[in-house]
Amino acid sequence: MLRDIAKQRLLHVDLSKRTTWVEDVPLEDLQKYLGGRGLAAKWLYEQVPAGADPLGPENVIIFSTGTLTGTSAPSSGRSSITTKSPATGLYLKVSVGGHLGAAIKYAGYDYVMIHGVASRPVYLWIDDGKVELRSAEHLWGKGTREVDDLIKEEIGDPTIQTGIIGPAAENKVKFACFVVSRYNSASRGGIGAVFGSKNLKAIAARGTGGLRPARGKEFFALARKVRGALAADAGSESLYNWGTAGSIPGLNEMGMLAAYNFSRVTIEHGERLSGQYLLSEGYLIGRESCFACSTACHRFVRSRSPKWGDVLDSGPELETVMSLGAECGITDIEAVLKANQLCNDLGMDTISTGHVISWAMETYEKGLISPEQADGLDLRFGNAEAQLALIQRIARREGLLGDLLAEGTRAAAEEIGGDSWKWAIQAKGLEQSAVDTRAAKSYALAFAVNPRGPDHLMTETYAEFGFTQESRDVIRKVTGDEKYADPRLTEKRAEIVLWHEQCYGASEALGFCVFTSTAAFAVNPENMAQMFSLAVGVPMSEDELMLAARRMVTIEKCFNVREGARRKDDRLPWRMMNEPVPAGPNKGMITDEAMLENLLDQYYTAHGWDLETSIPRQSTLKFLGLDSVCVGIPQIP
Amino acid sequence: MDEAHIVNIHINAAKCTACKACELACSFTKEGVFAPSLSRIRVMQLHDVGMNVPVVCVNCADAPCIAACPTGAVRRDASVPVVRIDEEECIGCGDCVRACPFGAADMNEERGVAIMCDLCDGSPVCVDHCIYGALSFGEAMPTAQVKRLAHAHTVAAQYRGR
Repeated sequence: MLRDIAKQRLLHVDLSKRTTWVEDVPLEDLQKYLGGRGLAAKWLYEQVPAGADPLGPENVIIFSTGTLTGTSAPSSGRSSITTKSPATGLYLKVSVGGHLGAAIKYAGYDYVMIHGVASRPVYLWIDDGKVELRSAEHLWGKGTREVDDLIKEEIGDPTIQTGIIGPAAENKVKFACFVVSRYNSASRGGIGAVFGSKNLKAIAARGTGGLRPARGKEFFALARKVRGALAADAGSESLYNWGTAGSIPGLNEMGMLAAYNFSRVTIEHGERLSGQYLLSEGYLIGRESCFACSTACHRFVRSRSPKWGDVLDSGPELETVMSLGAECGITDIEAVLKANQLCNDLGMDTISTGHVISWAMETYEKGLISPEQADGLDLRFGNAEAQLALIQRIARREGLLGDLLAEGTRAAAEEIGGDSWKWAIQAKGLEQSAVDTRAAKSYALAFAVNPRGPDHLMTETYAEFGFTQESRDVIRKVTGDEKYADPRLTEKRAEIVLWHEQCYGASEALGFCVFTSTAAFAVNPENMAQMFSLAVGVPMSEDELMLAARRMVTIEKCFNVREGARRKDDRLPWRMMNEPVPAGPNKGMITDEAMLENLLDQYYTAHGWDLETSIPRQSTLKFLGLDSVCVGIPQIP
Repeated sequence: MDEAHIVNIHINAAKCTACKACELACSFTKEGVFAPSLSRIRVMQLHDVGMNVPVVCVNCADAPCIAACPTGAVRRDASVPVVRIDEEECIGCGDCVRACPFGAADMNEERGVAIMCDLCDGSPVCVDHCIYGALSFGEAMPTAQVKRLAHAHTVAAQYRGR
């Protein structure tokens, strides 16, 4: 099917009734919410009633391609998956790369909304206009790699694209992921467990259609120009050469490499976890792109380890080597590659897996988890063998500890008790990604207000470090002065966070990888608005684009408000607010309670949200045109 | 035809990241839509070995597609050293698709014609969009020499280790 980019289509799949239907998306909705993450936020708000069980039939999964996904716009192939999180009980959006989004787009759909629960395991097969629920009984219990092979064999085409859950998601592990195009992962907040609860093992797609931009030649020329600018950006070059884990040496030097469950900020032999090390020691055998990407940060690695066995797999990402490596006191890269492979195959988020284990290690060393409770594992920091065993037990909920940790750090700390909650590095029920927020105030604020919990994947404020001229330019544009490109300052942090959350949101709605707009800066609100306009054929200014992104951020907030979340929930993990940086150039730094309150005041004020409760004011909702969308929350004028 | 004088898109698969920018650029330029299925160059992702291999017409010296075409629509004119399909004369029978050993010819089912790379009149848009250096264009180093070099590297690796 060849179609205009402006004519978006939403495919509904009801697993309970085994029915499917297609809905056309009104053009004015596309303009108002930009597509992708934006429209999905609105639909989630409308579809999932307050208090719904995230793992029950009332929850929906919304798979959204970006509005520009499938075009030549550079790095525009990412998708968002939106649902209610079983980890937090709040709004959840997870972004993922790979090629599945493009395949669904070419099959004729921009969005897929999954309703209900299947009575038996199934997978969804989208083959151009044909949509089918097929039995997945024979796939249940199997790892993501094997299932990918089996589905491709069954369909008879190794070039189809898949998204698959592993055994962890079937067992409703609270940080189970959804593995896309074999080597990419939608990971956070237990997104995979929602698929598992619906008995939906996989989505597979093949699309042979195409997309027509409204003003094709101009769009194509602009996209080519931005592609060139992006390839020339210093940030992109580093990501290509070393991947995200190329930041390890710098972080270790700056004293920002989270280690030993955030109790240290450097680690001996940290360089062994770096992308540079993967390259120099011959582990790296290839670089992979997501669809239409001009960066190729993704890795393909091979390890022939006498101790840990062979690995031929994707990754590892920066967050993976930090969480499964440094945070657990492990710098044996071959062990980390093995742990990464296990997580990918069993289908678990490496960030949360690493952190739930690093919490268990600290708790064990402090004597709150006894050797009996650890089911015989010697859970001291640095014991890779114990970590690998525990990863498998968590995925299959084996043993006391495996079953307990599968519930996530917050629940585990509640069960173990004592002071163990103080080193549970979580807020809202989500394990914090391995970013030290004590010495970077925009990050601290962004993490605290993040609707899905503390991580860098809803808003990344990398520019505040001012490492490059491009990032200092962004800070000048946002605050009026380059001097605010200093992460230790608390002034202007709300402005920086608001601009970034909007830039980030717009990027995701359009399908752009946020590395292109908030790590490298060649994709920016101005050219995003132009590309949107040329592709869809309606006017769009930079200001309108950012306003639409503010709309989506506000709906996401309102979803949480309706679930009962308030100002008191916008918190950082206790350790991040009470234990200053122990060593290195940032020694003594902290974002304490008082400082966070100050940052929150700035942020809610800038948003037009009530200071006491953080609830968006009616006047704000009216200004954004959301007063008839965000209903059912306390009304504050 | 003298091999050294056949211009070609040269492929270095080791550098291909499967971003598919080539497919998007090609299909838009040739068909006015973004549709990898209509691209003259296609990237095969081999997940099991961690390699991506672009496949495109190699301009065979003795081209089976030319021999197979019943109407003479597939031909290489003396003036331009490139195999091309004359869409006016193409009857959409698919004989060239079946004859091509590489799958470099395909059908545009909607328009009922065969499609194949024509090197964009000497300035291939796929090469322009490949920022990873997997595609390049120009006169080829003779194939045998390329193979000799690759073999030499293999031999060298046996002596020096990797």
